[in-house]
Amino acid sequence: MTVPQLWYTAAGPALLVAVGMVPGRNGTRAAAARTLLAIAAAAVTLVCALSTAVAVIALGAVRTAPLGVSGLSFGIYVDATSAMMFVLVAFIGLIVVIYSRNYLDGDSRHLRFVRWLCLTLAAVLLVILSGNLVLFALAWIATSLALHRLLIFYPERQAALLAARKKYLASRLGDLCLLAAMACLYRGFGSLEYADLFRMAARFTPGTSPWFVHAAAILLVCTALLKSAQLPLHGWLIEVMETPTPVSALLHAGIINAGGFLVLRFADLISLSTPALYSLALIGGMTAVFGSVVMLTQTSIKVSLAYSTIAQMGFMMLECGLGAFSAALLHILAHSLYKAHAFLSSGSVIDIARASWTPSPGGQPHPARLAISIVAVMGVTIVVGSAFGATLVEKPGIFALGAVVVLSLIHLVANGIDERPNAFVIGRTVISAVVVAFGYFGLQYLMELVVANSLPATQRVRGPFDVVLVTAIILSFGALTMFQSLLPRQAAQSRWQGLYAHVSNGFYLNTLANRWVLRFWPTPPARAASVSEGGQ
Amino acid sequence: MSTANAMRKPADGALPGGAPEGRGGFARSHGVGGFGRIEIAIAAACRRIAPLWPLKHFVAVNPFLGFSGQTFAATCTTMRRVARIDMLMPRAFYRDALATGAIEDQDLRAALAAVPRNWRLPASMAALKSELARDVDIKTGRSAVVATVAEVLDTRAQGDRQASRTAFMVDEISKWCAGYFDEGQSVWRLPSRNRPLYAAWRASMRHDRNPEMMGIVGFRGAVAALPDDPIAAIATVVDALGVPERAHADYLHQALCDIGGWAAYARYLVWNSELRGESNDILVQLLAVRVVWGYALFLEHREEGFREAWERAMQAAATPPQDEEAGDDPDIAIDLVVQLAYELAFQRRLLATLGDGASKASATTSAPGARKQLQAAFCIDVRSEVFRRALESVCEHAETIGFAGFFGYPIEYVQIGHLAGGPQCPVLLRPKFVVCEAVRGASPDEEEEILGLRQLRRRAAKAWKSFKLSAISSFIYVETAGLLYAGKIVSDSAGLTRPVKDPNIDGLDSSVATRVGPRIESRTVGGRLTGFDAVQRVTQAEAVLRAMSLTQDFARLVMLTGHGSTTANNPHASSLDCGACGGHTGEANARVAAIILNQPEVREGLRERGIDIPADTWFLGCVHDTTTDEVEIFDAEDAPATHADELRRLRQWLRAAASIARRERAPCLHVPIGAETDLRVIARSRDWSQVRPEWGLARNAAFIAAPRARTRGIDLAGRAFLHDYDWAKDADFSVLELIMSAPMVVASWINLQYYGSTVNNRAFGSGNKVLHNVAGTIGVLEGNAGDLKIGLPMQSVHDGKRFVHEPLRLNVFIAAPLEAINGVIAKRNTVRELVDNRWVHLFAIDTAGKISHRYRGALEWQSL
Repeated sequence: MTVPQLWYTAAGPALLVAVGMVPGRNGTRAAAARTLLAIAAAAVTLVCALSTAVAVIALGAVRTAPLGVSGLSFGIYVDATSAMMFVLVAFIGLIVVIYSRNYLDGDSRHLRFVRWLCLTLAAVLLVILSGNLVLFALAWIATSLALHRLLIFYPERQAALLAARKKYLASRLGDLCLLAAMACLYRGFGSLEYADLFRMAARFTPGTSPWFVHAAAILLVCTALLKSAQLPLHGWLIEVMETPTPVSALLHAGIINAGGFLVLRFADLISLSTPALYSLALIGGMTAVFGSVVMLTQTSIKVSLAYSTIAQMGFMMLECGLGAFSAALLHILAHSLYKAHAFLSSGSVIDIARASWTPSPGGQPHPARLAISIVAVMGVTIVVGSAFGATLVEKPGIFALGAVVVLSLIHLVANGIDERPNAFVIGRTVISAVVVAFGYFGLQYLMELVVANSLPATQRVRGPFDVVLVTAIILSFGALTMFQSLLPRQAAQSRWQGLYAHVSNGFYLNTLANRWVLRFWPTPPARAASVSEGGQ
Repeated sequence: MSTANAMRKPADGALPGGAPEGRGGFARSHGVGGFGRIEIAIAAACRRIAPLWPLKHFVAVNPFLGFSGQTFAATCTTMRRVARIDMLMPRAFYRDALATGAIEDQDLRAALAAVPRNWRLPASMAALKSELARDVDIKTGRSAVVATVAEVLDTRAQGDRQASRTAFMVDEISKWCAGYFDEGQSVWRLPSRNRPLYAAWRASMRHDRNPEMMGIVGFRGAVAALPDDPIAAIATVVDALGVPERAHADYLHQALCDIGGWAAYARYLVWNSELRGESNDILVQLLAVRVVWGYALFLEHREEGFREAWERAMQAAATPPQDEEAGDDPDIAIDLVVQLAYELAFQRRLLATLGDGASKASATTSAPGARKQLQAAFCIDVRSEVFRRALESVCEHAETIGFAGFFGYPIEYVQIGHLAGGPQCPVLLRPKFVVCEAVRGASPDEEEEILGLRQLRRRAAKAWKSFKLSAISSFIYVETAGLLYAGKIVSDSAGLTRPVKDPNIDGLDSSVATRVGPRIESRTVGGRLTGFDAVQRVTQAEAVLRAMSLTQDFARLVMLTGHGSTTANNPHASSLDCGACGGHTGEANARVAAIILNQPEVREGLRERGIDIPADTWFLGCVHDTTTDEVEIFDAEDAPATHADELRRLRQWLRAAASIARRERAPCLHVPIGAETDLRVIARSRDWSQVRPEWGLARNAAFIAAPRARTRGIDLAGRAFLHDYDWAKDADFSVLELIMSAPMVVASWINLQYYGSTVNNRAFGSGNKVLHNVAGTIGVLEGNAGDLKIGLPMQSVHDGKRFVHEPLRLNVFIAAPLEAINGVIAKRNTVRELVDNRWVHLFAIDTAGKISHRYRGALEWQSL
């Protein structure tokens, strides 16, 4: 329903823009003052987000009357999906701004950092709030451009420039896709207003959708995949640690998932195009496998977190492709919180390492541990899954995801049954497994309830390719799980040397990208470093 | 100059230098002619690298350790000409010091008079000052002694290290090293990591196509074609490149500088082997990797321009440059003079402070005969000075003592459930005792239960961690547990929780965690003898008391106070802990020392050896938290009931002293003075976003070995290491020898680490903390790749506006007869190198407490 008061919710982002736009002299005192303003603006934003969420709970999807003509307009549209995203990003934003206060203290460009941080945050929030593709696209491009300033926050760092330029190219490609998608939609529907688009899209079914729906859906999918660092243009994400840690936290928790949000926002439209969904599932699934296996070989905390993000975004895209949109939203929310914490606390990895001593080993792994785990886990999953009505035949997406749950729990329980099987450890692990199973299905169930009016319901089997896809996912994920259980002993053997070399280099994709970018867009050599470049 | 000097091997074995020639990996026979000389060059290059301790127990290292055999001035020259690394401040810093009066004309005059006559210096002081107005860029200045392939490529690419692929080379070697040395970051480990480094690398490079993907054609072939033996490979490459023999060592040194961080870590592994009396050639193998990489780049570049540039570079390297001696290059000579003037200016002020204070100090010594209310021994760490002064101000009759914070107990402390622990002693020593952690008052059954529970929790935690971090299962982990991080983020941000549980008490119930402590009793654990037997206890106790000059006039309470820091989310946390305890907190050492000294049998044994400790004297093991200034007293419940009142009073004093100390430190931390000061200082210890939880040992500048009476009442502003020493009680000057060869050396290591991180953070420091990325749980990278970083972060020496640490070589003051000091210098080569080569400034304090002499080198003193 139309709620004019919704405009007030823009107060938060508007304040952030104000804090970001007002110029100021560099200096510790000015930066400290500006940081306090930024914290205040971010806090106001969180309050706006929470009250908007309350409004959505009370009234359902809300929007302002569009300001503009013939479907090209500015306006705000918030439903259950975007309300949750709004709260999430406002929360992460507030935390990151507070964190930067002490973290960047003394940096001579602190003020500049705060300003661009606020502008980036405001742009992301606008992506979430916009009620029209015009505003959406502007905010989308602004996010990328503002983030670019943060990525080259230390412009004297050549590696930062290289990574930022790779990102820049991928983003511009994404922008082109987005603009083309908008053209298709405008041509087909005559409006870029969400409410109009969704209303008119509801007239079609996957079988009857016209060319422009397919074209727009595929272009939107490409935009999303490019935003979320999916194969093969993922390389920039693993190299943007050339900027202060809070930027990484914001990027991995609040910006990278904009791709996922785009898919969810236009889920009604994208789910009208089976090829678009298949592309999501295929590329997402491949990226998930790729990212998570490369992650295993990485030796620095931040790069391994980055590969983890690539994999997690892949899995989220896979969920979208399988039509499990509510699961994807849950994934975005949970991953953001997890990854924000992981980055902000990445300095604690030494504490973790010091606590990671291994108790005296003894004996051999239980020969039947895999078999035992499989039997135990299958039992648990079937019981818990059916308790929440996750029937495995009706919905292929859920079937595949259920299989992933089973594989994960097998991994958990198998790890519990280690060298010297012990009732305490096994008991504790099995209890964990049961809790995980309940937690997982419970949360999925809840999420589906919450977004029932906002996202399309999970879909049924669409054709033979579904079966092939699901089989391929289960087989590849299963193979990876099996391989992992062999890792500690087997993969250390030298016959795995070749595979290790390819995997640890991420199958050379990023190296090729770097070579290509360096050839066509060389970075200027590092400027002579001043003595106190870290502090100044 | 550099080669010959650097190859001079330390004569005594106090410091494990590089493996001497004729030993270990450097001297295997190959049956190929001409290897002998290249081996010497390799050994010389490797010896120039200083070790880097891993972050789990990061200790200060003198980054110029490999150059202690040559003078400070010669090292500056070598570093500039060979490695293109500056180790003096940029001229703007000195100009600023002159403008603000930090350096006065008299200091400049004194510095000019102090340097050797043959240095090429401007004729007048005015000329010197006008020369100083010009900035010097060492990168474009005179040509280096020898260029590496990487450097020639960089020059041809106008300094663009990405275009020249040398940045790529460093990234690749660094990434591979992180995989080889990884201590627990990756799940899938490098398969060949159990093989020797060079062989493992070649095994990897048979498959690794990354260099070729980057366009380095024929990389794998080039690597495979070289010999299997690292030394033979280096010899082959150096020969094929046509590096002239006189430049071999410099060439290899410069090659190592490109990967200086990993080289330093390899050097640490060599150091540990040598402490155990074993040889280790891992650094040579790493050098081979770097040299072969350079060669592969060389082979790839067949274009005429490069080959010609290379020819020219090698011809230039074959002829000795004009300015071979330190002081030949006028630019370096000027910089050295102003640095010296900067130090002389500081000395002038410090001497005035010490002189003024000396009269005050002698006036305040308490009346003889009266028993002191408290004796409190602290670590010599500069941070103790602030606290000691505060404690003395709240309790006039307290005596404070400075001593190395491991209190003479070189132990390996094994925590409950662990098999081995870290060495808690200065890194120059090997731990002599193994001490296990135990739970106070626990029966063997209960201990067994606690141990078993901790191990089982550890295993369950491991299974859960594997679920969290593995491929595939991490997806489900995130969807199930991810939302819970919202709460964790809030509580971590508010400082209510630590991002990660304290590893020391992880897996223990909180009721148990407060009861853990060292077990002194001798017993065999896991096949190793742990604890101390009766004789060891007495011997060790006697040694400690004598080294502290604490053999009579015991107070009723004697505190032995180690120190540690409390920080959250700080990879360099252990750099703030006790260096004398090997980068750990001093808790275990202080508690061990106190427990042993309280045992009646030990007191009995000490009495037989001439140290009579009154029956009513009680020792307390304590820890001073340098971040919060809180002092924790351990095992206080064991103290006799008769001391209860004094303990209560002691706690009041400590609280009051802590508050004074915090207020003294607050301005430097930008914390306003007021009602909130204490809370705000303490809050920094729990703030996960805090990059400067405390200032550590920044500003350290002096080391004073003298009775406390000489310095009591003087505000040394937390800049001095204070070691108590009374030469009258040191009949054979063995304690003096110990002080000069151990604590003084360690203090100079710390001082030079801060010096290096200040003058050139890029080369000797770890860069910008906000970019730190922990690799292999060993060290940090700056950003996503590049070499491992050594030294301290910029934030540890710079507050954003100015350097908090002043780049000053350590000023050592020793209250002892000149002959005795000379005796130690003549006897101990490491000490002689430090003082004669000007790595420290040495002064003597006479019996009247006046600073009487300045050391001029070669056992000569100048009266002041």
